[in-house]
Amino acid sequence: MISVKDLHKSFGENEVLKGISNHVEEQEVVVVIGPSGSGKSTFLRCLNGLEKATSGVIEIAGMELTNPKTKLHELQQNVGMVFQQFNLFKHLSILENITIGPRKVLKQSKEESNAAARELLKKVGLTGKENNYPDELSGGQQQRVAIARALAMKPKVMLFDEPTSALDPEMVGEVLQVMKDLAREGMTMVVVTHEMGFAREMGDRVIFMDDGYIVEEGTPSDIFTNAQEERTKSFLAKIL
Amino acid sequence: MQVIVDNLPVLLQGLGLTLEYSAVAIVLMIIFGLIFALMRISKIWILRGVSTVYVEIFRSTPLLVQLFFIVLGLPGVIPLNEWFGPRNYPILAAALTLALNEGAYVTEIIRAGIQGVDRGQKEAAASIGMTGFQTMRYIVLPQAFKRMIPPLVNQAAQTIKDTSLLAPVSVVDLVYKGEIVIAATYAGFQIWSVVALLYFIVIFIVSKVAAYLERRLQVDKR
Repeated sequence: MISVKDLHKSFGENEVLKGISNHVEEQEVVVVIGPSGSGKSTFLRCLNGLEKATSGVIEIAGMELTNPKTKLHELQQNVGMVFQQFNLFKHLSILENITIGPRKVLKQSKEESNAAARELLKKVGLTGKENNYPDELSGGQQQRVAIARALAMKPKVMLFDEPTSALDPEMVGEVLQVMKDLAREGMTMVVVTHEMGFAREMGDRVIFMDDGYIVEEGTPSDIFTNAQEERTKSFLAKIL
Repeated sequence: MQVIVDNLPVLLQGLGLTLEYSAVAIVLMIIFGLIFALMRISKIWILRGVSTVYVEIFRSTPLLVQLFFIVLGLPGVIPLNEWFGPRNYPILAAALTLALNEGAYVTEIIRAGIQGVDRGQKEAAASIGMTGFQTMRYIVLPQAFKRMIPPLVNQAAQTIKDTSLLAPVSVVDLVYKGEIVIAATYAGFQIWSVVALLYFIVIFIVSKVAAYLERRLQVDKR
């Protein structure tokens, strides 16, 4: 589903990704962990073209992202993204937030997109909030709407960029629950997070990144109880 | 008091002309502002350059000097009065100069409105597969527009006041009519009081509208 070969990314003189290669299978849930500044968010943002790779090859959802001929917006229709700051469209109601993509990008009818959006709101537990605006919702509710907005495009892959980092602690659980449901349904997911509980429970594979490299990867139990690399051990010792 | 009553029709006629010039200048300034703002955020450097030079020139010289230069100075080297007619040219040129001057400020208002929309909004639009045009049309401009309305209404109020600078280049407006009445009646105190009051009433209404819009059109609805 995702294949990355020797991905490099620099911001000016500063090289943030120093050669990342990886492969994500269909229906796999991959959790990326690592200290801040390790490049994990940049890696995720490269996967849907929000950051342009400096060099390397990325294939995702059957399209070659790094090929200049690929139409980025077509690729992005197939790759959902959930942001740390939710980024709901502030001027649109909850229902419109979810339907604007299907209506304007996929050219669905109003009836069809509204019905699908109501289904998605039910799925994330927010039936009844259709006509509210983003600022009227709690952070946890907004993030669940953001997940529904991404799912409305029927993506083949979902990317999560620290989806619970901006939330009050009591709201983390409701967002993680939606993500767990999604993982159980077989969605292919790449999740950058500090929620080690989620990584342990739901991750098929955990990737530890530091200083622009993938230092170590393996099953959650490999990484959390039997890490081989010194840097992985010292990171886990600090946060667990 | 009688001098005011007697001359009020003439002054109101002047006010009508002032409002006409204001309307023309406000429409044109928004058109100029939109064009130059889009140029200013363009990826093409020459468009950015032209827009920047325009904004800097008109913001960094006094409007009165711009009016003297374009209305009275330019015809000295270019036969503009012959081309447009000696009666039409000053009016056309003065209205256009005023619109260009205010348009420079509107350019900055619109540019700031567009660029003030949070980057995360554009990223979210991209992440659901919107093209650059769709992002501008459905996400950025609707949010930018609400942000721009209060400063645009303030700029419109400024424009109405700035039409008073058209009188020195012989364009007939409220101030010009006032001067004519005073020349005939010597009632400077009374007539300038009325002229000021008329401007005040118009601007007061406009700024009340601005305040109302500001309350109603907050970007984040509640």
